[in-house]
Amino acid sequence: MSPLLLQGIAGGIVSGCVYALIALSLVIVYKSSDVINFAGGELVMIGGYLGMFALLWLGLPYLLIFPFGALVIFVVGALFDRVVLTKVAGRSVHGQSVLVAMIIATVGLSYMLKGIVRVIPYTEEVRRLPPISSGTPIFVGPVVLQHQDIAIVLAAIAIMAALWAFFSFTMAGKALRATSQNPRAAALVGIPVRTMSMTAWGLAAALAGVSGILLAPKLLITPDMGVIVILALAAAIIGGFVSLPGCVAGGILLGVVQNMIGVYVSSRAISLAPFLVIMVVLLLRPQGLFAGRAVAKKV
Amino acid sequence: MNSHRRFVLRGLLLAATLGLTAHPVRAADPGITSNEITIGLFAPMSGPLTAFGLDALQAAKMWYEETNKNGGIHGRKIKVVIEDDKCNPNEAVAVVKKLITVDKVFFVHGGSCTAAAVAAQEFVTREKVPHVMLNASGDGAVIPATRYVFGAFAGTQRTVGATLAEFAVKELKAKKIAVIAHDDEYGVANTATLKAVATALGAQVVATEMISPRITDVTAPLLNVRAANADVIVSTAYPGPAVLIAQKYGEFGMMKTPLAQAIQGIPVPSAFAKNVGNDAALANFYYGSPLNDLTDGPKQQKWIAMYKQYYPDRTPSGFMAYGLPSAMAVTRALEKAGKDLTRETFIDALETVEFETGVIAAPVAFGKSRRDGSRGSLFVKFDGKTHTLMPGVYLWDGKAGM
Repeated sequence: MSPLLLQGIAGGIVSGCVYALIALSLVIVYKSSDVINFAGGELVMIGGYLGMFALLWLGLPYLLIFPFGALVIFVVGALFDRVVLTKVAGRSVHGQSVLVAMIIATVGLSYMLKGIVRVIPYTEEVRRLPPISSGTPIFVGPVVLQHQDIAIVLAAIAIMAALWAFFSFTMAGKALRATSQNPRAAALVGIPVRTMSMTAWGLAAALAGVSGILLAPKLLITPDMGVIVILALAAAIIGGFVSLPGCVAGGILLGVVQNMIGVYVSSRAISLAPFLVIMVVLLLRPQGLFAGRAVAKKV
Repeated sequence: MNSHRRFVLRGLLLAATLGLTAHPVRAADPGITSNEITIGLFAPMSGPLTAFGLDALQAAKMWYEETNKNGGIHGRKIKVVIEDDKCNPNEAVAVVKKLITVDKVFFVHGGSCTAAAVAAQEFVTREKVPHVMLNASGDGAVIPATRYVFGAFAGTQRTVGATLAEFAVKELKAKKIAVIAHDDEYGVANTATLKAVATALGAQVVATEMISPRITDVTAPLLNVRAANADVIVSTAYPGPAVLIAQKYGEFGMMKTPLAQAIQGIPVPSAFAKNVGNDAALANFYYGSPLNDLTDGPKQQKWIAMYKQYYPDRTPSGFMAYGLPSAMAVTRALEKAGKDLTRETFIDALETVEFETGVIAAPVAFGKSRRDGSRGSLFVKFDGKTHTLMPGVYLWDGKAGM
């Protein structure tokens, strides 16, 4: 196999893991409230800034900036659901879709977060977090692997594994799954649906924030770094938008395809890659790669 | 016809002839009185891009105040009205409109960001008000040349591409050049002149990677550049992607091949080095600069000292000196235009300006069909800590790649 191809795949897996995490965040929100979170990118951005703040100003050890950032953004996401979305959903007007109003609320959140960041003087200077791990690159055959990239992949795998365990083995995780499948039935069996919705939003926000901290050593932390959400959206669509494993596969697939297009077609086409992959997937398997035929209908 | 009627007719004819040939009484242009010229200055004074404009604007203002101390220009003192465009095109148009229609300035002098500076072009051209840019390149508004807009005192993207090619070939002895540029109009422009100059000098461009300004992963472009086996890698990327490129270049261990970065990607070298986070990646790194020296070099000390006299509480940023060449061009043109000053005579005078500023590497010059003030650059080797000035000033001839 050509070294170019192998290096491209390795690089694509690293980027893809981050896209997958952000896509997971989008899908968790979608499964819990049928809303596409257009503030997902800004939550990633806030995560990056919080990580920088924790490291440089609070002087926290590197490993602690992850739980710190996750906790703060969990609160942001949960509060947004409780304070804004609950009210928006409660004020449904006959004949008008509540979902549109909720989506617009997420757009508003995205503008608000970006605006807040822009007025804080601390954020004027463009920065990057130091690498999570550094050292001499590791060579696997012709492929160069940076410690930073390995750390990102391992962190992403750990987070995905923790999520899987949470949803599979904990009462809270099962309650969240039940609520997303059928809120009314969940309420009937005593699951506090409103609390579950708030938890889902908090969890999704925390996931996005942690992705931002993982990204921050690789990208410059700027108010516009949330633009990466477009790639995560593509990953979620490829996976089927209802499947968590689908997001992971979609993210990694997208990362690899992006690099392959850049290497074998043109660097100019890299930005087209997500849309090309979406189109191919929608043409060949419109429900996404991992979404099954039957979908549980909410009553 | 009797003699009286003939007399009246001759009188009317005489009056009509005198009326047609008499010198028309012309209203003076706004912003000029017998003892004052009012200039509308604008730049980003707030927001995330303040660094690009605040010190440059204050340097221009400082130049005008020095001029006033030396007696002004033909008995007229310069008065400035200052507005903040936040580097935003909509804001720039709004402040230019306000300066022209409300403050009635003689001309506008401003713009540190190209998009904002170019946005004002339509209005100033319609109103026939001269616009001299502050430190913006303003490519879209100066090439092709239009009557009312003057700019690019730090060089256009065409200058950037041409001088990078010349430096790569003449100094770094490149026979094969790999180019990384953006796929926007500025990237297309600088790549065109780069390729033209490289070819004219006998070098070959072996890879051209056009990337989005919003790119987040430069693995593929750098893999392609590595595979091309160039003698020199040239980048005209903006700050974010420039950092990613230098990082990936270091990760792939490509430091045996020099990397030359255009100035737009490295506005503050120390911040760039910190963001790259790996000084080993900068072992063979160069960047271009339109100044005639390092930002704190001996040739710049005079301006830094002058700035500190006027603004003792402020440490000037690396962009301070960029505000001076345009102000110098303005005062020279006002001198040349003479006492009988109008907007049109001011423009005519600006077109004849050609001089060494003592601030930037290349002379400032305009012409009937030239509106980009400077076409030169020098280069600096930067290893993350130390800046070393490379010999020579590199110039674009204004034709290659057009």
